[in-house]
Amino acid sequence: MSSSPSAPTPKLASGKSWRSRLPVEVGLLFAIAVVVLFTGIVDDSYRLKTAYNAKEILLQTSLLGIFALGAAIVIISGGIDLSSGSVIAFSGMICSAIMLSLSPLDESGNPDTNNLGAGIIALAILGTIFVGLIIGTFHTWLITVIGLPPFVATLASLVGLRSLGRVLIQDITGNIGTVGPSTKIYIFDPLFNDLGRVWWIPLLVFIVLSILLWLLMSKTLVGRHLYAMGGNEEAARLSGIHTDRQKWLAYCLGSVTASIAGILYCSYVGEANPESAGMGYELNAIAAAVIGGCSLTGGIGTITGTMLGALFLRVVIDSVAKTVKGSPDEFEGMIVGLLVVLAVAFNELRTGALRQKKFFPGKLGIVSLFILSGLIGIMGGVLSTSHPLWWGLGSGFAALLLLGLKALLERSASR
Amino acid sequence: MSRIRNTVSLMLASSGLALVCLFAGCGEGENGGEVTPATRRIILLTNGNSPYWDAFATGAKQAEEKLDVGKGGLQVVIDRGNFSPQTQIDKLRQYQGATDIVGVAICVSDPKNQALVNQLVSLSESGVKLITVDSDIDRENEKARTARFGYLGTDNFEAGQELGKAAKALRPDGAKFATFVGVKSASNAQERIGGFQDGAGENFVQLESMGDQGQADTAKKNVRDSLDRHDDLNTLVGIWSYNTPAIVDIVSDLGIREKTTVVGFDADPPSIAAMEKGNLDAMLVQDPYQMGFEGVRLLTALINDNQADIKEIFPNYGKPDGDIHETGLKVVVPSEESPIKADLFSEGTTFLTLEQFKEWLAEYNLTGS
Repeated sequence: MSSSPSAPTPKLASGKSWRSRLPVEVGLLFAIAVVVLFTGIVDDSYRLKTAYNAKEILLQTSLLGIFALGAAIVIISGGIDLSSGSVIAFSGMICSAIMLSLSPLDESGNPDTNNLGAGIIALAILGTIFVGLIIGTFHTWLITVIGLPPFVATLASLVGLRSLGRVLIQDITGNIGTVGPSTKIYIFDPLFNDLGRVWWIPLLVFIVLSILLWLLMSKTLVGRHLYAMGGNEEAARLSGIHTDRQKWLAYCLGSVTASIAGILYCSYVGEANPESAGMGYELNAIAAAVIGGCSLTGGIGTITGTMLGALFLRVVIDSVAKTVKGSPDEFEGMIVGLLVVLAVAFNELRTGALRQKKFFPGKLGIVSLFILSGLIGIMGGVLSTSHPLWWGLGSGFAALLLLGLKALLERSASR
Repeated sequence: MSRIRNTVSLMLASSGLALVCLFAGCGEGENGGEVTPATRRIILLTNGNSPYWDAFATGAKQAEEKLDVGKGGLQVVIDRGNFSPQTQIDKLRQYQGATDIVGVAICVSDPKNQALVNQLVSLSESGVKLITVDSDIDRENEKARTARFGYLGTDNFEAGQELGKAAKALRPDGAKFATFVGVKSASNAQERIGGFQDGAGENFVQLESMGDQGQADTAKKNVRDSLDRHDDLNTLVGIWSYNTPAIVDIVSDLGIREKTTVVGFDADPPSIAAMEKGNLDAMLVQDPYQMGFEGVRLLTALINDNQADIKEIFPNYGKPDGDIHETGLKVVVPSEESPIKADLFSEGTTFLTLEQFKEWLAEYNLTGS
């Protein structure tokens, strides 16, 4: 596990193996390389359409990574932000609403968003980022003044902001032009539509944000204070750190990055629809941060790890789409979920003597052995196109033998 | 030491991204290469996931079998969206990045969405054969219209009109109605609701329209809440397939069947069971089975350049609206005693009693449509 400059984790104390000293980024790079290699062997798309696929992965990684960075900082500071998905939906709506209200009217008296001009777009982006700042500030107030747990404060936004967006969008569209209320806003301006669709623009935003946040977290006192607060808030407060200010910064970064992602997603999708935009994305952001080495208990994690966590997630999702030829959507969640568990478990275990770890102790271990074998059997069955029953039984039985052997070895070693 | 570790970390993260960037830079121009993978895929992308698409999948799979599509090295894959244009855009981009996908049939979730339309055009330009099923592109958009070869399905506005006529026959003096749907902004939802109002006439007053974002439990809650809010609400209209069973459940729970008219789109198995029990007055049934079957036939014909099949599906191709193939509508009523009669509907609409409809389902080995 990599650590902050000021808060080295006790797990990195001297005397540990070389494996535990390697930064999490090395493991992730290796994992990404393995997934890309595997995909390249199973499917020829990476070889024959290299540029297209690389650009696509970079675009999708950037869109996810931008708000995962904010989520990571909140997690490092010891909090959690569940509102990213709703902030994305709300921000897209705000950005489109500002553009719609400032757009010129056509002959029928309705807004014409075909040619807005850079000024209106810039104003809409600034206004949306400002709204992100307000949301972050409101979260901080709920947490520090009212005393709500971060989980509850941001959960309220997760539920409430989307609903507020749905109500507002109808009020706004109903009062502009002559058409009446609408549940969506379409923006047709080509400049705005390029923001989220031309692959290098979100990538540029992602890289610039990453560098800025990396500098903040690694090179400044504020960054050290955030790590310290995440490690032990009370100790940080007693040592003179203004924890409330640090929280404000963390939650504002969380919601501002989500707002930026909201603008880009709105451009990418070509519409603002608070009903469905960014649904469930908060969990993607948390997953990217956790895969990247952030500990949900706070104080541990890096910006670079989060960048690679996002890249790993997108590479895996792309790999599933490329390699599972029939109904990839049905398998995506299962495979991504499995790899996320493996990646995070590896992160957790590699610092704690992986080889000495007992995976199947006691009765729980025996039950888990059968559960795992059953799961592997089911996956073997559903992934096979011919003779699913035999493949399922065969893989399940093979897993039971191997895992059973491991359990036996563990037991014999402990005697 | 920690400074060195941080610098190393940044360099590693950058190299990860740079590695992919390098791929992006070095692979230009390779897309023109001839690719002939052993198996080529035909993808049928739905707008969402609901039992309605099960009949579509059955039709597609039966076409794959009966037409021996696999003999030509083709494989049919059903891919389901989640009612969001973004998911469809993501999937279309994925298809374009694959080398083995040669045909795509899509139920367009939002024809007005320019990003989705651009992606369809881009996919078509990359050489993938493209058709639309169930929900078409905006036909006024010439670029989108030419990107897809043709459309197989029903006219949602006309379908709404037919259901509206059925409701009018049940309540000739007019009614206060509410509509229930997954996503209110979806074009098929708006067209059906608009068509229903048009077919039912001005004596039908819409009190509200409720959306549930595809959540079956919210669908039920919406019906209960609407009935709570409006004492005079007497006609409930299910716009998406699962909305009708949700309406039936709440009406039965509240014991208000006698004074409530219930009509809806599609024939989910629970809707068929509800009509058998006398809890549903009319179903407007599309033919997703046919869309799936003909979709596979058309794409196979386009890929293999089978002009005879193409001509059979689109005999008037090249003439105005010759790129539209109607798969037909069915109005299903509980029995001959229903006040809804066959002569109310357009010529192309098939009028069936529930028994006749069940025979039709059995003929194609379907549980719903």
